Amino acid sequence: MIEFQDLTRSYGDFTAVRPLQLNVQRGEVFGFLGPNGAGKTTTIRMMMGILVPSSGRAMIAGLDCHTQRAEVQRHVGYLPDNPIYYDFLRGREILQFVAEMHGMGRREAAERAARMLTEFGLEDVVNEFAVNYSMGMKKKLGLACALIHDPEVLILDEPINGLDPRAARDVQERLRLAAASGKTIFMSTHLLDMAERVCTRVGIIHRGELVATGTLSELRERLAPGGSLEEVFLKVTEEDLAPAATA
Amino acid sequence: MSQQDFAGAAPLLTSTALLVRLRLRRLWNLMLSGQLGKKAGNKPGNKTNAKVRSGNPGKKSSAVLVFTVWPLMLFAFGSIIRNAVVTLHDRLDPGGFWLTVEFSAAFTVGLAFMLLTLWFASLLMTVASGELVKAEWDLEWLVTLPVRAETLLWARILERSIVNPSGFIMLLPACIVIAWYSGYRWSAPLVGLLAAWPLLLLAALGRTLLDTGLRLRMSASRLRNLHAVISVLSIVTMYLAMSMGLAGKGRFMLGIAAGMPEWLAWTPPGLVVRVLNERTFIEAAWLVFELLAEVAIILWLGVQILQNQLRHGVISGGARDTARAPPSPVEVASDSKTPGASRLKLTAVQWRELTLLSRDRNFLVQCLVVPLLIVGGQLLLGSSGIATSMWRDPNVLASVGFGLAAYSLSMSAFQTLNSEGQALWLLYTFPCSFEEVLKDKARLWGAMTLLYPLILFAVGMFVMPGVGWKFCAAVITTFLGIPIYAFIAVALGVFGSNPLEQHQSQKVKPEYVYLYMGLAGLYIYAVVTPNFYQRIVFMVLTLLLSFALWQKARDRLPYLLDPDVAPPAKVSISDGLIAAMVFFVIQGIIMAIGGGVTISGAALLFAFAIAGALTYTLMRYVYARTRTEGVPRLRGDDNRPIIPVVAGLAAGACAIVYLLALRGSPWLDQAKQASNTWVELGYWVVPLALIAAPIFEEFIFRGLIYGGLRRSFGQWPAALTSAALFACLHPPISIAPVFVLGVATAFAYERSRGLLAPMLTHATYNACVIGAQMLMS
Repeated sequence: MIEFQDLTRSYGDFTAVRPLQLNVQRGEVFGFLGPNGAGKTTTIRMMMGILVPSSGRAMIAGLDCHTQRAEVQRHVGYLPDNPIYYDFLRGREILQFVAEMHGMGRREAAERAARMLTEFGLEDVVNEFAVNYSMGMKKKLGLACALIHDPEVLILDEPINGLDPRAARDVQERLRLAAASGKTIFMSTHLLDMAERVCTRVGIIHRGELVATGTLSELRERLAPGGSLEEVFLKVTEEDLAPAATA
Repeated sequence: MSQQDFAGAAPLLTSTALLVRLRLRRLWNLMLSGQLGKKAGNKPGNKTNAKVRSGNPGKKSSAVLVFTVWPLMLFAFGSIIRNAVVTLHDRLDPGGFWLTVEFSAAFTVGLAFMLLTLWFASLLMTVASGELVKAEWDLEWLVTLPVRAETLLWARILERSIVNPSGFIMLLPACIVIAWYSGYRWSAPLVGLLAAWPLLLLAALGRTLLDTGLRLRMSASRLRNLHAVISVLSIVTMYLAMSMGLAGKGRFMLGIAAGMPEWLAWTPPGLVVRVLNERTFIEAAWLVFELLAEVAIILWLGVQILQNQLRHGVISGGARDTARAPPSPVEVASDSKTPGASRLKLTAVQWRELTLLSRDRNFLVQCLVVPLLIVGGQLLLGSSGIATSMWRDPNVLASVGFGLAAYSLSMSAFQTLNSEGQALWLLYTFPCSFEEVLKDKARLWGAMTLLYPLILFAVGMFVMPGVGWKFCAAVITTFLGIPIYAFIAVALGVFGSNPLEQHQSQKVKPEYVYLYMGLAGLYIYAVVTPNFYQRIVFMVLTLLLSFALWQKARDRLPYLLDPDVAPPAKVSISDGLIAAMVFFVIQGIIMAIGGGVTISGAALLFAFAIAGALTYTLMRYVYARTRTEGVPRLRGDDNRPIIPVVAGLAAGACAIVYLLALRGSPWLDQAKQASNTWVELGYWVVPLALIAAPIFEEFIFRGLIYGGLRRSFGQWPAALTSAALFACLHPPISIAPVFVLGVATAFAYERSRGLLAPMLTHATYNACVIGAQMLMS
């Protein structure tokens, strides 16, 4: 469903993402792990057409994420790490606007927006301007925006970062539901317990390079027998270490 | 906030100096960051800077602009102030004018009033140009330092008295002029600066009271409304202050100045005037003491008020917009209505834009009211007399209407991306192209700003003596121009805005605003010119320009948030326009050097061929260097000559019919006198018309311009537009047949996809026309 073909990105002399090869199958929940500054957000922005690959390409549903951006967005829902909304628009209005931009009629969009807000437990704040929301509410609203057109693929940048335990559990629950309904999820995170709980497969990126991919048990077995994902993570992201073999 | 003194806290002066230095350093970095970041980033092998991910390429020229525009503004303002002082003197202290004089009491009061007005205008402008609603970037952080709140406030006031551009522009020239006339001569700038500083301190206090204090008291939505009011007031006050220095416009303000009470001379502005004018040292020293004492007391009181305002902390509910306000009845109603009826067929983007406009009073005022004030103020204060002549001459009325709309577009359509701001990411999640979103906004603003001329013309219909064809032509020119300029503004806004910038002043690149204003000024010419032909040419050129800019913007859009990467080069309309201009300029230069007054056929051929060859070589060179895609080829897919020749014959036949129809009309004779016909140029015309013209003109007009248009438009719009430009660049008499030729050659090019075909069409057409002209003469 998601495919990177030698996806590369550099800023001047600095290579943020080295040629990435990756294939995420339909229905997988793929965790994109890595320390701060490893190139996670850059990769995700290339998938969203916000950044242009220096070479190679990212494909979603067989479409090029840069040249066919608008087509790709039909299949994709996106949640940025820090969702910022328009001033002077209420949560309900933003959701409705997003639905309309996805081609729904005004009435359908309004109904869908109302339903999503109830589902996400945001009905108390529907009439408050979204810029006033707390981080948890903003993320929930962002997730509602990402899901409103029922996409096949979800791309989430640090979905539970900065959320309190209850909000984090709510969001994880939402993601589990989405995964159960057959959606492909690609999410970046550096919260390992979250990855352990939700992901079916993970890839660890370090200094722009994919240093390990595989299911959690595969990685644990191969890189830190008997250890935790944390030990795997620490091992492959150790400084001055040559890239470990990819599983 | 604790009032107690911390052990180890920096003392007042040190911390003030530190804070001022910090603020100045930041300002300096802001002005130079674009330049330094750029230079360093380009240096290969420079590891630390290679990571620079500046979101704002091209801030280079901003700094240059600041350094050139500022002295100019100071100078212009200074001369207005000088006039104001002279007029004030004439009014309040009649008698001969002087260089050094003791000011009379009335004059002193008048000057004090002038300073007070300027001070007030500068204060309002400073507040209006900032963002009242957003918290200052540093206060939240500064309160975490071990510095007393009082110290912070003093430092803030001190620092703002130094970093206050509009304060300096308003107050410095006035103080310098007063010092000059008080006999300080060449030391006047220094003395003026010293004298202005107490006033700047008070301005800093006023500003801090307004923004720091009010922010804690009022809700964000009320603050925005207040901001809107202040920005309107600031413009009005500035015009009032300036009106005193403009010939024949200052009656109102001079009258008020004359009626000012005596005690104004004992207020800080009055004391500043008196200090500057006082000759005896002891008296002057006493006045300085009085001035400083007054300022110190006011500042101390102000700081006490501020401390009181800040007693509950530096942040309050003010940052929150109307909390849980119930939706207004109108919106509830619109939700329940059927889709078509409630939204006037507006798209989701347009609907959202209007919602934001209706809720954000500041945006509303900036877009719709400020243009009225600025343009209206210019009309009333200017010496052109437009304010009265616009109700007699429809062209003048149209130019005012267009000016209003164009100004309003620079605040609205130009800001399209900035109004998305940090929420721009949302646009990336929609399954539609940015271009569609921008088009929606351009259409919306193009339609909204039509209101200005609509109202003006509606009034004009009643006021003006007769409404004839001239009125209609003015209406049409204006109503066609405004939508075109809405698109131009949106396109330039793509290049001229930094939507992700936090700071309001960094969001817009001024050079693009000036470019837009300059282009809008050009169209004013089209609106006022009485010459019908010129008007048409201007409109075609503007339309093409908007296409070219829109195309450039469209190419840029997928790379919007990725300023490090440039879009791949493709042949575009703008290339064609540039090539056409280069071609005509070179041709003109050669003719001017070699031709003299009479144009011989040989000279024309020579100039034409050289200009064409140079342009062709230049364009091919640039394309090769930039590896441009879509460079026109000579041989196409279909190189059979039949269809091009038939197309040329058909166009030629049209031209012959046209010539026959015009035969004997006075228009043809006039045109003949104005320019040479083919026949008069002699035998040289054969290689010119049959070889040189087809080769070079087809490369530019079909290869580049039609090709560039075709990349973004369908076959017929592209053919008609390129033909219109092609026709416009010929003498008026031949516009119609050349337009037909333009369409025919575009048709031939489209079929063959190689330039040989339209060249053949062009040569066939020219052969027909020359043959016909020879027979007819």
